[in-house]
Amino acid sequence: MADSPEAIQKAQRLYMLVGALLFVFTVVTVAVATWPPLDIGRHGFDSSDAYLGLGIAAFKSSLVMIIFMHLNHEKPLIYFFYGLALLMAFFCIWLIGWSKSDPIRYGSATLSNGFYDPSKPATHPEHKVSQEDATQSADSE
Amino acid sequence: MEIPFVVNTRKDTGLNNSKVGIWLFLASEVTLFGGLFSGYLFLRLYADYPWPERTLPILPGLLNTFILIGSSVTVVFAWAALKMRQWGKFQIYMGITIFCALLFMVLKAFEYNAKFNHQAVRILNNENPVNDFAILEGHAHYAKVIDGKIVHANKGDEGYFPQNVIAFNANAVSFTLTRPVYDQYVIDLLEQAGGADQFSLEADYQIKDPETGQLVTILEQGSELSTENLDLAEEKFIDAKTHDAEIRTAFLKDNWSKIRETNQDPGWKVVETQAWKDLQIDSAKKMDNNLMKAGISVTYTLKEPTLFYFDPDSVIKSDGSEISLRDDTVIKGELDQDASALPMAVDGIDFRFTAQRAIEEGIAPEAAIAKSWILKNEAIKEMWDSHQEWLRGHREILLEKDEEYVPTDSELYRVNWDQMVAYHEAGHEDIYEKAKEGTLHMSEFRKWTDGFTGPSHQEGSASKAAFPEIVIPRDKIGFESTFTPKWNTYYAIYFTITGLHGLHVIGGMIVLGYYLFFGRKMYESNPEWLANRVEVGGLFWHFVDLVWIFLFPILYLM
Repeated sequence: MADSPEAIQKAQRLYMLVGALLFVFTVVTVAVATWPPLDIGRHGFDSSDAYLGLGIAAFKSSLVMIIFMHLNHEKPLIYFFYGLALLMAFFCIWLIGWSKSDPIRYGSATLSNGFYDPSKPATHPEHKVSQEDATQSADSE
Repeated sequence: MEIPFVVNTRKDTGLNNSKVGIWLFLASEVTLFGGLFSGYLFLRLYADYPWPERTLPILPGLLNTFILIGSSVTVVFAWAALKMRQWGKFQIYMGITIFCALLFMVLKAFEYNAKFNHQAVRILNNENPVNDFAILEGHAHYAKVIDGKIVHANKGDEGYFPQNVIAFNANAVSFTLTRPVYDQYVIDLLEQAGGADQFSLEADYQIKDPETGQLVTILEQGSELSTENLDLAEEKFIDAKTHDAEIRTAFLKDNWSKIRETNQDPGWKVVETQAWKDLQIDSAKKMDNNLMKAGISVTYTLKEPTLFYFDPDSVIKSDGSEISLRDDTVIKGELDQDASALPMAVDGIDFRFTAQRAIEEGIAPEAAIAKSWILKNEAIKEMWDSHQEWLRGHREILLEKDEEYVPTDSELYRVNWDQMVAYHEAGHEDIYEKAKEGTLHMSEFRKWTDGFTGPSHQEGSASKAAFPEIVIPRDKIGFESTFTPKWNTYYAIYFTITGLHGLHVIGGMIVLGYYLFFGRKMYESNPEWLANRVEVGGLFWHFVDLVWIFLFPILYLM
């Protein structure tokens, strides 16, 4: 960490640069959301706009964490705390994915990504057939 | 007592204790906000109504982002100044940081205030196969009460309020004793009626004395209404209920013992046996004389029909001849349809919910919208027709850009306030041509100046004249609220997260302010300790900025 007065003096330029970048990317976030020529994906707001907006926010927050919060040169214990917290936060957000894997509501067939196929809900005739098949095969055994 | 390792680092961690402490705290904060963001995602992805996309005015949010980023820079400079032992510079940078925090909260207050005063109404209309579900947004007119009558008022007049009230011509009021009567309702009724002598108890409130079997009068017929009288009735009612409950329990115990004596299976199924039922009938007969059987309500009649005004939030049920307040107080009489209507200037027409319901019911959205009650209002119909014209032009422009481009749901089924102003200023003429030219929309800049925190309804505002007027009868209001957590889950999560974030800003401001205003002594005795404190406070401040960096796009732009 910049600890000596000379090193801190030097680091101030970096802080200014990061501040300026944060301002610029805030303007970029607003521009991609409101200026039609920069609208990506379908017309209007869609998932690609969401990913772009969140991507810029993630980049900006990384700058704050790495430079302002000095995570570019911290002790391992801090990384451990922070890593654990991020893991918990991602777990909270991942819950939505978990909820989508409810086979009763969303489907019975598993896709390659591990989620259930919503086009084949549990009440789907195919599913019923497969259950009957399973029972029959169990009986025959 | 000396706190260890606040300046020097521990050998095992390589850190001072303050830093370990703040990072542990920030870790818990990350989890807390992670949970709230997760809550937001759940609410949005599982919403059963059209999510209000990009509904907040962007400028205040954008300014607040700039302000927080700026303060993040100055707080790190304040720390750097301390490390270089420059007290004067530290004061300047920290002063700017705290000023930024204050400014952030002021802007937030403006935003919140605009939401608290912006009215939304979901229309109920049984003639529409999808029950309408159209939403009108706008500002309720202001009113005041003069000689018991509601009259129009201007903002700032003495006693003015938004004219969203339920006016009821009452001739009797029944208070329910099974739950506490809310004293404020009684006080309001007494004040509006002009005194306690306007009410008189319809009949004696009597409770049987279990000893003598005689009826004892608690409140006499004709007695006046007062909170004391109601408290007395409630107290006696509770005593009687307690007594009756004890008697019943004693009989049940007795019956249970009898059942056991007859060697029946004492399991839960015993209540289904004939023996148990016979015992209960027998008990009921015996109990009858011993129970106090207090009446569950007291009714006061009014000497003459009186007009009362109620906040719609206080009324849970209304059917024209009877309304129930939240404490189960029932008022009988007649709804004053005229005074109960909600007059408002409309700055948003939203048929997205109507369209969604129509699609769910297998009806064409346009057919359902055509039957909407609000389109019977000529000014609103004119707005909607202009919007269809704009849509025609807009659709063509989109197709020119990309043949797969189609208007969004918001464009199809919602007329925003800035579009209303544009249609109005175009005189509702040549809308299609102007839409094709791309000259119809308000510029972003004008949107920001005319509607900094929302559409302006100020006298003299250029936008105000564009907003159609409507008077919504009470029976057409399916649900109404200002833009508060009550309106929908978007505003619930918006106020939860931004409110909590605002509290963090205030907390940070207090801590950083303490360093600025009370740090001089420490700076002189142990400047490195103060620098460490500022670094720790600064880490918290960066975290507050970090949360906002995500909140701004999520709540304002998506």
